[in-house]
Amino acid sequence: MALLEVDGIVKRFGGLVAVNGVSFEVDTGEIVSMIGPNGAGKTTAFNCITGLYPLTDGDVRFDDISLVGMPPHRITKLGITRTFQNIRLFSYMTAVDNVMVGEHCRMRAKVWDDLLHTRKARREEHEVESRALATLRRLGLERYADVYARNLPYGLQRRLEIARALASGPRLLLLDEPAAGLNPNEKVELMGVISSLRDAGLTIFLIEHDMRVVMSISDRIVVLDYGEKIAEGTPAEVRENPRVIDAYLGHGASEAMRSA
Amino acid sequence: MPNGEAPAAPATVSVPRRPRPNRPLATQLRLRFAASSGQAFLVLLITGFAAMVVAEFASKGVAQAGAQVVNGLQIGAIYALIAVGYTMVYGIIELINFAHGDVFTFGGMLSVWIGAGFGALGLDLTKLATSNVGGLIAALAIIFPLTMLCTGTLGVVIERVAYRRLRNAPRLAPLITAIGMSFLLQGIMFVAAGSGNYPARKDDWITGRAFTIGSVNVSWPQLFVIVIAVAMMLGLQMFVRYTRVGKAMRATAQDRDAALLSGININRTISLTFFIGSAMAAVGGIVYAIYFNLLQWNLGFKFGIIAFTAAVLGGIGNILGAGVGGFLIGLIYAFGSDLAGGEWGNSIIFAMLILVLTLRPNGLLGMRVPDRA
Amino acid sequence: MPDIAAPQAHIDLPDTGTQTRRVESASVFWLLVVAGSLLLPLSWLLPWFVEQTASGKGNSPMDVIVSSPTGIGWFAIWVMGLCMLALFAGVGYDAWAVLTRRGQPFRYGRICAGLAALGALCVLLVVVLVASRTELVFGSTSPDVLIDNAVWMMLTGFVLLAFAYGLRGWVMNHGGLAFTAVAFAIGGLFPLMFNQAPSFVVWGAQSAGIYVLLALGLNVVVGFAGLLDLGYAAFFAIGAYTTASFAGSAHDFHLPFWILIFLGAAVAGLFGAILGFPTLRLRGDYLAIVTLGFGEIVPDLAQNNVLGLTHGPNGLSGIDTPAFPLHGGPLDFGIFGANPRPYYWTTLVLIALVVLLLRNVERSRLGRAWVAIREDEVAASATGINTVTGKLLAFAIGAAVSGFAGAFFAAELQSVTPESFQFAVSVTALTTVVLGGIGNITGVVVGAILVSFVIFWVLPSLQGWMGTLGSNIGVQQLGTIQYSDYKFIVYGLILIGIMLLRPSGLLPSRARKVELETGAESEPLAAVQERA
Repeated sequence: MALLEVDGIVKRFGGLVAVNGVSFEVDTGEIVSMIGPNGAGKTTAFNCITGLYPLTDGDVRFDDISLVGMPPHRITKLGITRTFQNIRLFSYMTAVDNVMVGEHCRMRAKVWDDLLHTRKARREEHEVESRALATLRRLGLERYADVYARNLPYGLQRRLEIARALASGPRLLLLDEPAAGLNPNEKVELMGVISSLRDAGLTIFLIEHDMRVVMSISDRIVVLDYGEKIAEGTPAEVRENPRVIDAYLGHGASEAMRSA
Repeated sequence: MPNGEAPAAPATVSVPRRPRPNRPLATQLRLRFAASSGQAFLVLLITGFAAMVVAEFASKGVAQAGAQVVNGLQIGAIYALIAVGYTMVYGIIELINFAHGDVFTFGGMLSVWIGAGFGALGLDLTKLATSNVGGLIAALAIIFPLTMLCTGTLGVVIERVAYRRLRNAPRLAPLITAIGMSFLLQGIMFVAAGSGNYPARKDDWITGRAFTIGSVNVSWPQLFVIVIAVAMMLGLQMFVRYTRVGKAMRATAQDRDAALLSGININRTISLTFFIGSAMAAVGGIVYAIYFNLLQWNLGFKFGIIAFTAAVLGGIGNILGAGVGGFLIGLIYAFGSDLAGGEWGNSIIFAMLILVLTLRPNGLLGMRVPDRA
Repeated sequence: MPDIAAPQAHIDLPDTGTQTRRVESASVFWLLVVAGSLLLPLSWLLPWFVEQTASGKGNSPMDVIVSSPTGIGWFAIWVMGLCMLALFAGVGYDAWAVLTRRGQPFRYGRICAGLAALGALCVLLVVVLVASRTELVFGSTSPDVLIDNAVWMMLTGFVLLAFAYGLRGWVMNHGGLAFTAVAFAIGGLFPLMFNQAPSFVVWGAQSAGIYVLLALGLNVVVGFAGLLDLGYAAFFAIGAYTTASFAGSAHDFHLPFWILIFLGAAVAGLFGAILGFPTLRLRGDYLAIVTLGFGEIVPDLAQNNVLGLTHGPNGLSGIDTPAFPLHGGPLDFGIFGANPRPYYWTTLVLIALVVLLLRNVERSRLGRAWVAIREDEVAASATGINTVTGKLLAFAIGAAVSGFAGAFFAAELQSVTPESFQFAVSVTALTTVVLGGIGNITGVVVGAILVSFVIFWVLPSLQGWMGTLGSNIGVQQLGTIQYSDYKFIVYGLILIGIMLLRPSGLLPSRARKVELETGAESEPLAAVQERA
């Protein structure tokens, strides 16, 4: 049984079918990438998996539990967290507060504890703060703990978003274009981060446009085009797949390349 | 599913259809509710309204019920005139112009003050209006354009002072200034007109019975109010649809940045919207003053809320929708107050407000609120 | 796992909290010193001034003290005076050292603290020797006890200085806490210092106190969770009617007041959650209007005597007077009578309680969740926050505070009518929050005091003052204007002016400041899901 099973998901916006019967699986410990041209439905698929969009049809199972109809925070609590394509940090919170928000679903303090500031709440708050600082350290952000998220440079914001996602203690991490807008150095650092996370036992599923990043870190790649899965396989397989080449370079491109 | 073989590029992905997973009851209910609350509201509205009509006719008799129909249409006409301003402004800058109801009251008061001003200059408008039909038309032709012009200008000034600078602020900011503007106008009218009823003394301008259908009398003032409202509404709709300026307004409503790039003067268009909306509210204020003869400083609060409900009910951003919503709300108010007792009228309207906004925020005519990312 | 190398890029670290906090704390210290130094001379001037203007030549405070039966009063006076002079020397040196950046400030800090403490002791001595009477606390407010003002004022001045200098290190590190403590201390002594103006105390207990509570509660909804609630008066009404129903002749229930205020809070909180539920899917402006509708329905229902419970437009009257526990027992001083002071102090205790709870919650898991929801509901949800419970809790807690205020209000006025809960109440509460600073507890407290001071004390008093002024300068019309009529204009001008000129209010909350000036609106998760 795979960690994440996506089974024939369909997402329709009015007349537009954004995702049409896509199925794939992600196994524990893998790094799987999803690629496809702009508008192929990658982010929509992400939003469907994380409960942001209700599915039109199909099923998503995590650890054999169906996620359909589950609100996003429950899905996060089950162990799937994500980052966003256009970074969605809490801009007016400090970096450490952002990460502490990530810890939210792991905390046990009830409203009464919060109101009365009970010993339980205080102890937990303390633990969470030190855990959040440790998470920041893990991603090399400890210097910026007290900086407002909006004042961080772009690359660090991407990193902070990953830190926030890690804080909820996920088993599966979904990254939506983590390398977008990063310079080459930052991209290399990011790849280091991602593989170190995998080494630490996380499963990672990401959307990415940058082919160098995708090809070098992925175990497997899923290719979407016009809302449908057109290919799946190892980076080498996908690179050779004529449908993928057609999808990226236009119809007939694979023919041309072959004849060239 | 580790792929050993090269992906064979299937032409069409055929998905084995799984049986729907068992979801917890709460989840099912939640999904069901989210999917169907809009229709539920429609059913509720239609059955509720039908039940109201039936109950009214059955319990009060045709004569009284018919009178309530006319009453409802006539008060609904005033709601519709106010609702137009809400709907146009919301359509174009997504702001609930909270002060709009008070602009309506202000228009009514202004018409009284303008009449008094002419009286001071030696032209007694009431004497003119009551002399003969020609005189009445002349008096109306003085009062209406002048009041509309002044109130429209007030609307433009309000936008310029209180909203323009906050156009790109979080939505709460202009809403708070709008509430402030509402209180400012109410405060001014409170100081100027006192806390009680403010006599408008226009009750004898238009009098008498226009015609009778069966046992239902329709008076000239009622006919006047309804006809004015319908004519204004249709005229405005034509204006927005067919004129160049109207097109600019629609373009600005759909996408302000794109409109700006196409060379539309956004600020002027928005000012014009406020002008027209406020002028329409002024028409409502004048006919209110003519019909009811009394104004109160805080009249606009209630009328504004009701008219906003009408605008949402009709589909915000939609001028004809505002008209339909206005008449519908007017009828519901008339029947409801007649059936449950006048003191329940407000509660019924506010319950309507809550139901419409929570269950069908897109309204009956389904014009979507434009999403601004 | 391997450590990831820290990024090479160097960035400036913009204000990192702690620095700002230092500055604020230092200013709190100076605030205390200035306030204390001003109170001391004022305490001598005030009775003289009031005597000159009001009660004519009577016993000056000096006369009273000097003619006291024991000679030790003289001695105490001398010591007090010397302490004061020496203190001024010390404070003056500090001010000079700080302002000119020469010399070493706080060199005589310990001495100043000691002098102030000695002064305070002397004042207490005078109180015991000269006055030796309990009416200084619960007693009459007639003008011939002018001396009380001076005594309490002087005591406050000495205590402030002793506190500031004695605990300077602590104050510098815990500015907020010190400020709060001192604010409450001064607030508590306030009716004693100004017993010349009993209307002031009534105002404090009935308007300022109630509106501070309302502002605190509304701030939870508007400031913390970012949801504009325009029907806030409804919960106030629910709390008040709950008390009125269970502690009075209306339904012949007589539960004790101290239970009822919590019951009123609970009932109002429940209604808050109930109202919150249908509004979860709505965007900010529609939510505001729906809450407004709710706020109008509640007094409307009360007006229409719903279920026969609310007795229509006349409302419920004959509500029991609050009493201390063990009614008729040793702890019941029977003090809740016509004297406004006990009500004032009760309000103060309630406010302190609410402030404490809300500060706790602001800095906890829930408070963080609120900020997250306010900033970006979708991201908050994806980060694991249950946005539904978060928003409902904001509504419920805000409403509970309002109900708390309502319960107290009912017990204080001993009758409730639907008129007390009109839209104007909600707008007043909103004005206080906007003026003080959306999202900042201290700010909204200050805002509430300012607004209620202007609306419920200055404006009503203005007619009298202007009448006197007018008759003195020969413009009689000044006295004929109903200045209270202008309150709506004042609300309007405050709301518009603040939002245009300083959207984060007089005392901005640091996070909210940038947000209100530049931020975008968070779209409800449900709206996103529905559109999809």
